[in-house]
Parts: sequence; C-alpha cells; structure tokens
Amino acid sequence: MNRYHNRAGLDEKQRQDRERIGSQSFILLLYLLMLDAGLYGFGFRWAAYPANVMVLVTLSAGIYVARLIAAGAYIGPARGRQRPLFKAVATVLVAAAVSFTLLLLLRQADFTDTERIDAMASPVLFISGGAALAVSLLVLAIRRRQDRDGE
Amino acid sequence: MTKNLKLKAARAAKDMSQKDLAEAVGVTRQTIGAIESGGYNPTINLCTAICKVLGKTLDDLFWEEDPHE
Repeated sequence: MNRYHNRAGLDEKQRQDRERIGSQSFILLLYLLMLDAGLYGFGFRWAAYPANVMVLVTLSAGIYVARLIAAGAYIGPARGRQRPLFKAVATVLVAAAVSFTLLLLLRQADFTDTERIDAMASPVLFISGGAALAVSLLVLAIRRRQDRDGE
Repeated sequence: MTKNLKLKAARAAKDMSQKDLAEAVGVTRQTIGAIESGGYNPTINLCTAICKVLGKTLDDLFWEEDPHE
C-alpha cells in the first residue's frame, strides 16, 4: 500500500482535512445536544424522543459529509479499476438490508413502542435507501470532478 | 504560505499535468494543486516523493528564499 494512504485510501492532506472536519462536527453535535437538553429543561420540546436526537445526529452527520465533499476529502485518489456501478448497487442493497435488520431487531425488543416503530418503518427504509443511492451517485460525480484536469 | 512556483515550473518542464504528477506520487490532484498554490504544507515524505518523480532535489523545489536577503 502506498505510504501516503490509510486504509480508507486517503492521501495525507485528505486525512488531515477529514480529522479536522470530524472533530469540528463532533463538537457541533455536542453543542446541539446540550442546547436541546437546555431547551428541554425550560419546557420547550421541539420534537419527541428519539426523533429529536435522530434529527440532530443526522444533521451533524450531513454537515460532516457535506464539508468532507467540499474539502475533497470524501474519497481518495483513484487506483485501479473502480467499478462504480457495482459499488453503487451494493451500497443501496447494504443500506436497505441494514435498515430492514434494524427494524426487525427493534420490533423484537420489548423496551420500545411497536406502534411507533411501525410508523417509522417506511420512512426509515425509504430515507436509508434514497440516501445510499444519493451518496453513491454523489461519489461518482465527485470522483469525476476530482480527476478532471485543472491548472 | 507562498505559492510554490518552482514545483509548477519543474512539473511543466516534464510536460506533466497536476493529475499526472498526483497519480505518479499517489495523491489527489487537489493535493498537488494545494501545494503549488501554497495552501498546504506537505510532509517530508511527500516532498521527497515529488522530488524523485520530477528528478529534482528538496532544495530545488521546496527551499524558500529569504525575502530580506
């Protein structure tokens, strides 16, 4: 393996950017959760648990991914045959499988409200599959843009 | 950080694009562009790898002239 790449295949600059953006996103999530807890203490509940936590985590993760893409640190230098269509399809299938498995596990657990899980099932599956497809297409577009010659 | 015009000139002398140099070294084109524009300070390992590809020494490509001399 090229010594400038870690297991994710990023070069040294991309690794540095990813670590910086990751730290900042983690702190952002911390502040958002603390703000949410503070608002809860004052009686202001903008969303029921666990929706409030899920929204904040998803928002922070989305900001993290967006900043990674903007910094060019989302995917590493292309090496060898990429097979982008295969990877896109595989990503969608894995995302759908993980969502489905998670829902099955939640249904079997007694500590949660099954009616709420049923209500969440469709949107979670839809969002997960759609997000996986969108991310895959975005990765293809980013790699093409990264490889484009620019002086 | 100042622009690295020596690197750009050495790359052009070899008729290499940023992408060609990036692939030869094993980094992204954006990283090479950032080094040339002065937006990123590469590690010594990356500096030596670039020097080997371009057939130059570290002084040739990465030594900064003192503006007060």
